[in-house]
Amino acid sequence: MFSKVLVANRGEIAVRVQQTLQAMGITTVAVYSDPDAQAPHVTMADQAYPLNGVSAEETYLDRRKLISLAKEAKAEAIHPGYGFLSEDPSFCAACAEAGLVFIGPSADTISLLGDKIRSKDTAIQAGVPVVPSSPLWEPGETHHESFLSQWGFPVLVKAAAGGGGRGMRLVEREEDLQPALESASREAAASFGEGRVFLERFFPAARHVEFQVLADASGNTIHLMDRECSVQRRYQKVIEETPSPALDQKLRDSMGESAVALAKSAGYSNAGTVEFLVDARTGQYYFLEMNARIQVEHPITEETLRLDMVEWQIRIAAGENLTLSQDDVRPSGHALECRIYAEDSYNNFAPSIGTLLSWQPPHGMGIRLDSGVAQGQEVTPYYDSMLAKLVSWGPYRQACIGRMSKALDAFPVIGVTTNIPFLRRAILHPAFASGNYDTRFVAMYGELTTPAEASPVADAAAALAEQFWQASVPKRIGNQPNIHQNIQGRPSGPWHSIRRASFP
Amino acid sequence: MTQPERNQAQGDQPPPRQQLLQQVHPTPREDAATALPVDSQPVDTPLASTTSQEEVLHFSAQERDFWEGRYRLSDGTTVPFQARRIGQQVHLWIGGESFVFSPVISASRRRGGQQSSTDEILCSVPGVVIAVHVSEGDTVEAGQDLLVIESMKTEQVVKSPRGGTVQRVPVQPGDRVDRGMRLVMLVPLEGD
Repeated sequence: MFSKVLVANRGEIAVRVQQTLQAMGITTVAVYSDPDAQAPHVTMADQAYPLNGVSAEETYLDRRKLISLAKEAKAEAIHPGYGFLSEDPSFCAACAEAGLVFIGPSADTISLLGDKIRSKDTAIQAGVPVVPSSPLWEPGETHHESFLSQWGFPVLVKAAAGGGGRGMRLVEREEDLQPALESASREAAASFGEGRVFLERFFPAARHVEFQVLADASGNTIHLMDRECSVQRRYQKVIEETPSPALDQKLRDSMGESAVALAKSAGYSNAGTVEFLVDARTGQYYFLEMNARIQVEHPITEETLRLDMVEWQIRIAAGENLTLSQDDVRPSGHALECRIYAEDSYNNFAPSIGTLLSWQPPHGMGIRLDSGVAQGQEVTPYYDSMLAKLVSWGPYRQACIGRMSKALDAFPVIGVTTNIPFLRRAILHPAFASGNYDTRFVAMYGELTTPAEASPVADAAAALAEQFWQASVPKRIGNQPNIHQNIQGRPSGPWHSIRRASFP
Repeated sequence: MTQPERNQAQGDQPPPRQQLLQQVHPTPREDAATALPVDSQPVDTPLASTTSQEEVLHFSAQERDFWEGRYRLSDGTTVPFQARRIGQQVHLWIGGESFVFSPVISASRRRGGQQSSTDEILCSVPGVVIAVHVSEGDTVEAGQDLLVIESMKTEQVVKSPRGGTVQRVPVQPGDRVDRGMRLVMLVPLEGD
């Protein structure tokens, strides 16, 4: 087993990985960009090295810097987390060249699965159904006639090297196709360094269901059941649950077998996730892609199976074989994950920044928070907007949702706008409660993203804000004309010197 | 601490709403927000609240810039809350929802701003400008793409709210932009 591992990531996943490493008695090495110097993944680490820079490109994506720091720290392995370099075959290969174990699959496997075209071919060879798609598009080309004549609009534009919704566009009309191809290609080139895109058949009523897979280097491959990921905005997941309410036992078994067949056919080793689209109208399922890394939503699988996925990643990377068989995988109860994003659900999910003056996560039975931030920390525009993941477990689905609902109600965040108000409404929405929802959920129910016109809470907020303002502003300017003067005459206000609120 | 005036007035009449502050988050809907001068907003408090005891039940923190406690809503339920002063704004977390209030800007000033001959299209997200699709003198239609901002690894397309002529584009690709910064100045089309 390793004695020291460098975690080449930030945020909640860098915290999560180090929790397991430390529990296994392995020394952790964190790395950090300038804005992250005080972040929890740094303060918890046994050792931490600066990456000296701000943007992702000059820090968490700097392959050479990361490898040389790992060597300097005498780490034996690198855990890439998700995002950043987790699915970068050249980084994986560079680790091997430098004598470092990359905790994940091989460079060849990553490169095979990272290419949506080649991974589809692998699925077809494994007998797994796939979504119909067009050949690749290169900038300058205009012809997709045969694909479009077969399937028509709307159609999805996808990046060959995509993920997390980046480089993906839904196109409804022919005249929007060319701009969408170009914009998707540009976004993919910026995010993944590879701008090729293709068209894919669009299913209006689709559910997104994925299977967690574990495989060791000897080829033992099992699946760890499914996760329902249909609540999405901008093609990014927001709420996940397991087991999926969409699957009956027959479909679950069949998809699980497909997931294992695909992983085997790709020569997969370590933890990975096979994503499927389920046509809500026919119950037919199609392979979408396989993610060659730990998945953001892995905690819900951990909760229902009572196992540590990161520990398995590390043990497999260290050469151990799986001691679990498919028959050992017996999930219990229901788990739900809500991703806490720094964004304004009432303003088209626009990203939000600021200082987390209040960040007081809830506690309680069946509640788990995987968080990458702490109170007082600044949220910057440089990286992903996900702050944390709130996970609930319950013996059955309704209990699980009830616990999540209470936890979201008791999660004060001030200073950065989050999607918590959206999450509260979403999990209590009748369509979510029924379990009968698909990827149109967010778009279909505008009430989830529209503030209530009037409610007892909104009334109370207005009254309380006035009360607080009057108590907090010294009396002599506590009336209207003076406040106006003050706005015009900024920054002469008496509270100018107390911009930063004090901590309780 | 001085007793707020509105609590003393309670029982006689519905409390006057939003005299000093206006809600800026969640942003009120445009149709309602721009048409109605804030200080003449009708009282829409439900009947029940005129007789209920809507109030702070207790404080667990009561500093000048930070309040924390429990509040009784007009429907009788009680919820936890926190309030913080950040600059000239009041940030509130109450009943699981978040609100931001700013001092009222008088209706005449707001309307004046809208009648000016130039529209300023302001940045709504912090990020980096990655593409500018228009330049000075261009005629644009409502809904036309003006520029693209990348924020937290996501592209945000800024579209024109109305037809007009581009007067000035004070940003260029590569610029860091923040919320509230001017992106495009537009002379609206006559009668649009």
